[in-house]
Amino acid sequence: MKMNIQFSLNGKSISRDVPTHRLLLDLLRDEIGVTGTKEGCGTGDCGACTVFLNGKPVNSCLVLSGELDGAEIVTIEGLKIGPELHPIQKTFLQDGGAQCGYCTPGMLMMSKALLDENPNPSEEEIRFALAGNLCRCTGYAKIVQAVQDAAALLRNR
Amino acid sequence: MSELTAVGKPIQRVDAEEKITGQAVYGYDLVLPDMLYGKTLFSPKAHARIKRINTEKAKAYPGVVAVVTAEDAPWTHGETVKDKPFLAQGKVRCIGEPVAAVAAEDEDTAEAAVKLIEVEYEDLPVYTDPEEACKPGCVEIHEDFGKYRKADFIVKGAAPNVAEHFKLRTGDVDIGFKQSDVIVEERYFVPIIQHAAMEPHSAHAQFDKESGRLTIWVANDAPFRALHEITEALGMPKEKIRFINPLQGGGFGSKGGLKVEPIAVALAFHTNGRPVRVKFNREETFISTLTRHEAVVYSKTGVKKDGTLMARAMTIYWGAGAYAEKSPTVCIRGSLPAPGPYRIPHVKVDGYAVYTNKPVAGSYRGYGIPQGAWAGEQQMDEIAKRLGMDPIAIRMKNMFVEGDISYWGEQLHAVGLKETLVKATEAIDWGKPTKTAKPGVKIGKGFACIQKPTRSPTTSAAGVLVNAKGEVTVLAGTVEIGQGCNTILSQVAAEELKVPLERVHMHQLDTDVIPFDASTTSSRSTYHMGNAVRRASIHAREQIMEAAGPMLEAKVQDLGYADGKVFLKDQPQQALPIGEVVRRKLGIHGKVRGDGSYTYEIGKDLDLETGHSDHASAFYMYATQAAEVEVDEESGRVRVLRMSAAHDVGKAINPLNCVAQIEGGVVMGIGSALHEELVIDNTGKVRNPSFLDYHLVTSLDTPELIPIVVECPEPEGPYGAKGLGEPGLAPTPAAIGNAVTDAVGVRVYDLPLKPENVYWAIRKKKKDAA
Repeated sequence: MKMNIQFSLNGKSISRDVPTHRLLLDLLRDEIGVTGTKEGCGTGDCGACTVFLNGKPVNSCLVLSGELDGAEIVTIEGLKIGPELHPIQKTFLQDGGAQCGYCTPGMLMMSKALLDENPNPSEEEIRFALAGNLCRCTGYAKIVQAVQDAAALLRNR
Repeated sequence: MSELTAVGKPIQRVDAEEKITGQAVYGYDLVLPDMLYGKTLFSPKAHARIKRINTEKAKAYPGVVAVVTAEDAPWTHGETVKDKPFLAQGKVRCIGEPVAAVAAEDEDTAEAAVKLIEVEYEDLPVYTDPEEACKPGCVEIHEDFGKYRKADFIVKGAAPNVAEHFKLRTGDVDIGFKQSDVIVEERYFVPIIQHAAMEPHSAHAQFDKESGRLTIWVANDAPFRALHEITEALGMPKEKIRFINPLQGGGFGSKGGLKVEPIAVALAFHTNGRPVRVKFNREETFISTLTRHEAVVYSKTGVKKDGTLMARAMTIYWGAGAYAEKSPTVCIRGSLPAPGPYRIPHVKVDGYAVYTNKPVAGSYRGYGIPQGAWAGEQQMDEIAKRLGMDPIAIRMKNMFVEGDISYWGEQLHAVGLKETLVKATEAIDWGKPTKTAKPGVKIGKGFACIQKPTRSPTTSAAGVLVNAKGEVTVLAGTVEIGQGCNTILSQVAAEELKVPLERVHMHQLDTDVIPFDASTTSSRSTYHMGNAVRRASIHAREQIMEAAGPMLEAKVQDLGYADGKVFLKDQPQQALPIGEVVRRKLGIHGKVRGDGSYTYEIGKDLDLETGHSDHASAFYMYATQAAEVEVDEESGRVRVLRMSAAHDVGKAINPLNCVAQIEGGVVMGIGSALHEELVIDNTGKVRNPSFLDYHLVTSLDTPELIPIVVECPEPEGPYGAKGLGEPGLAPTPAAIGNAVTDAVGVRVYDLPLKPENVYWAIRKKKKDAA
């Protein structure tokens, strides 16, 4: 069954006729062609497809398009602040938080969600917040470092 | 040598920005114009004859463009044994083997249609244990093995299902054991694990009838191997086939060879020129790509009272799974150094690569070293314990040092092992008392050493272009799989051409334009491709200097080169930027091209009877890792508290990247030590093909990591560099195993060290004591 949905994606309004069972992840990647959001498992276990839905981080592989009418969605493509990289992007660059980079968009979105809520997280809080985002390359050390450094940048702004 | 300007610097990755903004396009992301969607039908049977396939209903389903089976794709492939059909031919050999495929207008249609294909099977005996599958009387999983095309060095075992039997014979182990004061003998087991790269597998293919050209887009880490295998299988000329590599989201060995590619190719011949995409989802990636070899290792070691190693005999059964893939070479290169980095006068190793009805085992970061080390390095500790010796002392007494002749007959150079041992153990305060643990919890320390060869002999070639703006483009066939090769190779070009790193650009990997490279495997790229890019850069520089001579009215020998400029040695202010030289020589669209290639010239091939070679590897990597762990005696739960990892890299071209590789490797190794295991039941079914049930290390599971870079320069390597990618996880499980034994006084012989394995070992000890 198809339905018409209107939603905002990274600040732009979009109107689409989509099958209601289409996953948000597939809608973004295959239908709209915005592929920064990654598919790692399709079952909500790896966090690679994390996006913001109405201000909250969600696994976009667990959201049906039928739920999206009127929603506000932000993906990795919308993380920059104007032309400027978001502080969490800057520190991922500088600290080596990305290797193959496939988990990175999800990792960045979840890190932002943490920092939005908690501007001064402890290492343990960072590790807890990112526990649902799997990375096979880095061993997490540089990612945790990058979140700590981003928190400091944000606090000093 | 003049001072290094780019090499040796902790430069941030050149490819990171596109990755942190979501702009990077991976294989799994690729959408081609007018693309069809493929879906694969996998075998639900581990071993069965195919009696009948009916595709009529699927073909008639609206929106379906093509349905293919082995009838449409009667080809086979394989790296060293051509045993693997594009789609199952006559029988299936594991659950998850591709049997048929559909291409349709959209994903939903493809998925619905593939379910309409009917296959009738007739069951055959299922073998899930490599030790059992080679017992007399077993049915051959590959009854036509003798007829397959294969590499010259393959030695088929006498027993059923043995695809390769590797033999190492040095001295006489019977004499060695007779002369020993203490002999230790045990059986060790390493289960199947999976690479679990975050990007699942996919391939796109398009066949253009008019030009007769086949194009394949795939994140494959050995595109030239893939090109060769597809060419050979199809009998098409090489010029008609092109591989294009989008970015790759991890690999760890899983993305070499052909898995999804043959399915996409089979479909592409039936879609009237439209491109087709075949994606494996995570479950399909678990059951139908590659795994790491399970291994049963029998190890027997004899030693003198003073700790001198006398003899070591090992028998290793490598579980190959349903097809040979890399098994013969994993068997050879994993069995050869399995006795460890030690002087041992009497050595005997028998390695058997055994077919089973499980998913195909392939290359996996570490290439057979972790399995051998799990046995060998724990046995070293056992021997030390029996002798009342310190584990460091026994290794120091026997370990390889510069100039030693190894037990396979090769003189070793650039051996940084001792330094890694000293630094790794110091880093966890070896020999100093551990902090006191909570009641019921025991703390222990352990370490393990490894030596790893690289695939040899192999070739890497590269091109380096310098344009009229002085910008540099590197054409290299090394695949950026996350390991950082684009940064390393850019640094090498920047170093030789003395330009800022921002002016160096890596060309996309496309086999139509990129020079040959053997593969992005075996930690070979920094050394081989590093040398090739270095030579190509020097070649470009020489041409630029030659061209600059007349422009500066000087002979080449009177010219100097620095800072991206050619200058007169006696009047350095008379200088021309390299872009200016190119412009004057070739015009504003001109490019100077340098070429370079590097082949490691191997000595004698491995002798098939003794396993001896005077040059088995271009270089060897050495490492020691040390762990401090706590073990809960009540539950058997092991937690790693801190882990040091000292790796001899020869020369760190990028120290930041070296640390990144070590940290990632160690954490992967911790997963394989503590909880990773692809559980396969006796019907051949994978029971945990998801990230919910297959436990990867998360951010909560990682201990304090202490990466240590040791530099023992390799004379042939670029700037002294060796390799690093693979050894990161190789000694990890053995180091943790030794630490667990130190903590609770019992040894666990089977990986992973999951709570129940540790719990039962502790229970058994208590029972035996009572």
